[in-house]
Amino acid sequence: MENILSFIPLDITLIAQNFDRFLYGVWVTLNLTFLALLIGGLLAIPMAIARASRHAVLNPIIWGYTYVFRGTPLLVQTYLIYYGLGQFDVIRQSWLWEPVLSSAWWCALIAFTLNTAAYSTELLRGAIVDTSKGEVEAAIATGHSYRSRMRRIVLPSAFRRAIPAYSNEVIFMLHGSVVASTITLQDILGVGRWLNGRYYLAYEGFITAALLYFLIVLCITWAFRWLERRYLRHLARRETPAAARMDPEPTR
Amino acid sequence: MTGISALKVDDLHKSFGEHEVIKGVSMEAQKGDVIAILGASGSGKSTFLRCINLLETPNSGDVYLAGEKIRMKRNRHGETVPEDIRQVERMRARLAMVFQGFNLWSHMTVMENVLEGPLYVQKTPKAEAREKAQALLAKVGLSDRADYYPAHLSGGQQQRVAIARALAMDPDVMLFDEPTSALDPELVGEVLAVMRGLAEEGRTMLVVTHEMGFARDVSSKTVFLHQGEVCEEGPPANLFSNPQTEQFRAFLFRMN
Repeated sequence: MENILSFIPLDITLIAQNFDRFLYGVWVTLNLTFLALLIGGLLAIPMAIARASRHAVLNPIIWGYTYVFRGTPLLVQTYLIYYGLGQFDVIRQSWLWEPVLSSAWWCALIAFTLNTAAYSTELLRGAIVDTSKGEVEAAIATGHSYRSRMRRIVLPSAFRRAIPAYSNEVIFMLHGSVVASTITLQDILGVGRWLNGRYYLAYEGFITAALLYFLIVLCITWAFRWLERRYLRHLARRETPAAARMDPEPTR
Repeated sequence: MTGISALKVDDLHKSFGEHEVIKGVSMEAQKGDVIAILGASGSGKSTFLRCINLLETPNSGDVYLAGEKIRMKRNRHGETVPEDIRQVERMRARLAMVFQGFNLWSHMTVMENVLEGPLYVQKTPKAEAREKAQALLAKVGLSDRADYYPAHLSGGQQQRVAIARALAMDPDVMLFDEPTSALDPELVGEVLAVMRGLAEEGRTMLVVTHEMGFARDVSSKTVFLHQGEVCEEGPPANLFSNPQTEQFRAFLFRMN
């Protein structure tokens, strides 16, 4: 064992000694990422519907919002909220300052949520707009009201078709969450940076961080593969007697 | 008998921009009538059918379903719009439509497609709806396909599911919009057979079609539309053997 470890140019013992810190970092990262995805996703649903239905008032407003948040880096958005808002006396004296806006964790959560909501809105809007016109007409002809065909036909279909693209958004959000480490939070990268700062051992901290991110992405990928198998069955190929019959005859 | 007709359309007009597609078409179907609507492409026959359940909004004209008029009004831009969308939705539920492109809900199984209207529009109790759906799938010969998704069925099977889905609503009138036009020739027969069975049961049907044989043998009345107007109409026996107009003669000649 001694021998094998000595071949690896990493201070494994140091990593092992600080592994509880890394685990806490994993918790911070997952917590921030998935809370932001959850709240952002819930915000994105009504916004996507308003965009897709070209609501006269809401559509241009939401379009402006998603344009700004998709057009600027997440790091800048986070800095603007964390460092920027504190410049205004009005905000520092407001009731929101003490519990929320003075806290790095809250600022990160707000920035991440607004960012992922913007991307998810546009993603879902595309899926809603792409719903087959014929299927919508069939829902109308059956007597569904606008609300009930949205709830029963359009959204279930759009959500399913959005799954593959949304898996990218989840992974981007996870990777984007490293921004938290730049505003003092001890997320996975934050712990890596702390290790580097304390022992001047860049590899140990950053490789451990990279591996942890990699493992999380692996789990996300698996989860989405399961979701796709479960919810996109209707788009999968399937050998049916009818399909087999339509195959061309082998040439003699 | 001078009862209330199942469906009555009175002087329907429809324009797309400057182009008038339907120039005052009237039609009346008694209960049990099967009306075949023929016409060359561009004659407005599909548009006419889609105006009945307001998938297209007619510019003027009235639609009555079992004597009840679909109330329309003019909005501030002078466009015709439904006065009460709830009434329109209720009427649509009684006017089932079968489309050229099947339009089954692709993320739902065959069974879910058939159950959708009864459960979520008509609010039928689940057990009752399921029992009826099973009977309807048996009727169209697809009991063994209840758990399939539409994409895994042939075109003819999909259209038969669409017919079962329409029947599940217990419609007063069924609208068929070229139900066999998107099918491979060898699959047309199975769909026509189901429709023939419905006609024999006494279902009231409006069928836009290119199937001359179906119009001749099954319909109680055939209507030939030409450039947005009724050109000829009558019992198919007279109409087909003795066309009165040059347009219908030319149309029949092209179709044979």
